[in-house]
Amino acid sequence: MKLLVAGVGKDYLIPVIDSVSFHAEAGEFVCLLGPNGCGKTTLLRIVGGLEPATRGAVLLDDQPVVAGDAHTRRVGVVFQEDRLLPWMTLEQNVALVLRPLGLPAADRRAVARRHLRLAGLAGFEDYHPGRVSGGMRQRAAIARALAIEPDVLLMDEPFGALDAQNRRIMQNEVRRIWQETGRTILFVTHSIEEAVAVGTVLVMLSARPSRVRALIRNDVRAARAALIEDLNTMIMEEVERQQGGASA
Amino acid sequence: MSASTGRARSWAARLHLPTLAALLVVLGAWAVLSWRYGAYVLPSPLAVVAGLGEIVRTGEVWTHTGASLYRILVGFGAAVALALAMGLAAFLSRLARGVVHDALAVLNSTSVFVWIVISIIWFGLSNWAPIFTTLMITLPVVASNIVEGVENVDRRLLEMGDVYRLSGHQKFAAIVVPSTLPYLVAGMKIGFGLALKVSVVAEIFGVTSGIGYIMNYSREILATQMVFVWALVMILVMMLVDKLVFDAVSRRLARWR
Ligand SMILES: Nc1ncnc2c1ncn2[C@@H]1O[C@H](COP(=O)(O)OP(=O)(O)O)[C@@H](O)[C@H]1O
Ligand SMILES: [Mg+2]
Repeated sequence: MKLLVAGVGKDYLIPVIDSVSFHAEAGEFVCLLGPNGCGKTTLLRIVGGLEPATRGAVLLDDQPVVAGDAHTRRVGVVFQEDRLLPWMTLEQNVALVLRPLGLPAADRRAVARRHLRLAGLAGFEDYHPGRVSGGMRQRAAIARALAIEPDVLLMDEPFGALDAQNRRIMQNEVRRIWQETGRTILFVTHSIEEAVAVGTVLVMLSARPSRVRALIRNDVRAARAALIEDLNTMIMEEVERQQGGASA
Repeated sequence: MSASTGRARSWAARLHLPTLAALLVVLGAWAVLSWRYGAYVLPSPLAVVAGLGEIVRTGEVWTHTGASLYRILVGFGAAVALALAMGLAAFLSRLARGVVHDALAVLNSTSVFVWIVISIIWFGLSNWAPIFTTLMITLPVVASNIVEGVENVDRRLLEMGDVYRLSGHQKFAAIVVPSTLPYLVAGMKIGFGLALKVSVVAEIFGVTSGIGYIMNYSREILATQMVFVWALVMILVMMLVDKLVFDAVSRRLARWR
């Protein structure tokens, strides 16, 4: 989905976001950077429709995002905390969010298990969140967000709780999924290295009340992603042609 | 050596040995006082044990305990049902929440005696008087707990439900009910204890069965040892229900912790 953030601002008791504008084509990986407390989480929540903006508008595929309104978009959110239901197993947690998609129970189970496996949690499906480490909980939350095959994926410092090794694994996983599926991702991170490594668009916010300090197109990354997508499409076409030829 | 004394101590604790020792001292003192003041004021421990044996043999213990438990279950059951409705209303509407809060504050400040007198006026000398009294006394206890549980549902989890477009019903079943359940069980545990204590008092008036009735009757015919016997029965019923029902339910609820 195409993302347009147009003059978005937010005041609580104090003005937090002055005015922020940027846009991203479908399939772009937007990294949001900025000092602590400048309103990154707030902006993410506005894009996700969890918080109304004081000024400006957010459009997803030209449809305005209105906080609290019913919609049909698939939005996956990885919050700073895992927000898993403690009384459900990891598998039940992931399967739960597949219910509104109308999948039958057996499919929900299968999809949940597949995404838990991708997140490196094979064997832990029947554990409750209280019985696994914080990093594993966060990975389960990521698996949950990916399981709905979101049109837009919003991630708020999702790897903050992970150790270096798991951070690398999950970075690769998110990057791989992004490349394979062409999802639009809005990703808040502290790490400039991480942003440069994965982002196609980098949005650097200023101190509060925040504006866009710098908007950088990380074109090498974008070009490479487009190239990978083209090659993927080509190979899929050829595979189909070959299979079609074999069966004829 | 220290390991073996440690193990011995843990066995002693598990068998409640210190409590049993204290009990022996109390029983000794009780026997002495009974001998000093006479059986009418304080029947001897042996007389109480004999009395308990007798009501078990005649089956009288089941008649009166059953009658009391029946009234408690109806009154307390109705209280739980009403409390659930109040909790649901408080969850669904902010307006209802305010009304429920105020209603519970009033009910919480009302004395048992008020309900006993009113229920005799309304229901006469019938089963319904102790049932109604039990209902009105346990309702605020159970309902306060449920409403507190509903108010303590983690908003961040509900927001997660919104993000993933769970329906109201799905959020209720997956998030609200499980997080309120421990409050409900805690409220029911306290409520049941209260129900037993209160319904027995209400049975003093106008009914001809139940632990409260028979205790008062025993007092009237000067059978003091039976008053003690029925008090003992009441204590045993309370402890048994606590152990067999509420402990088991709490343990099951805490499985995922
Ligand atoms: N619901 C709220 N009410 C009042 N102030 C808030 C609320 N949410 C966030 N803020 C304030 O907005 C500012 C930005 O918060 P946040 O978006 O979490 O920053 P960041 O994620 O960039 O660290 C902070 O000063 C915070 O205290
Ligand atoms: Mg934040």
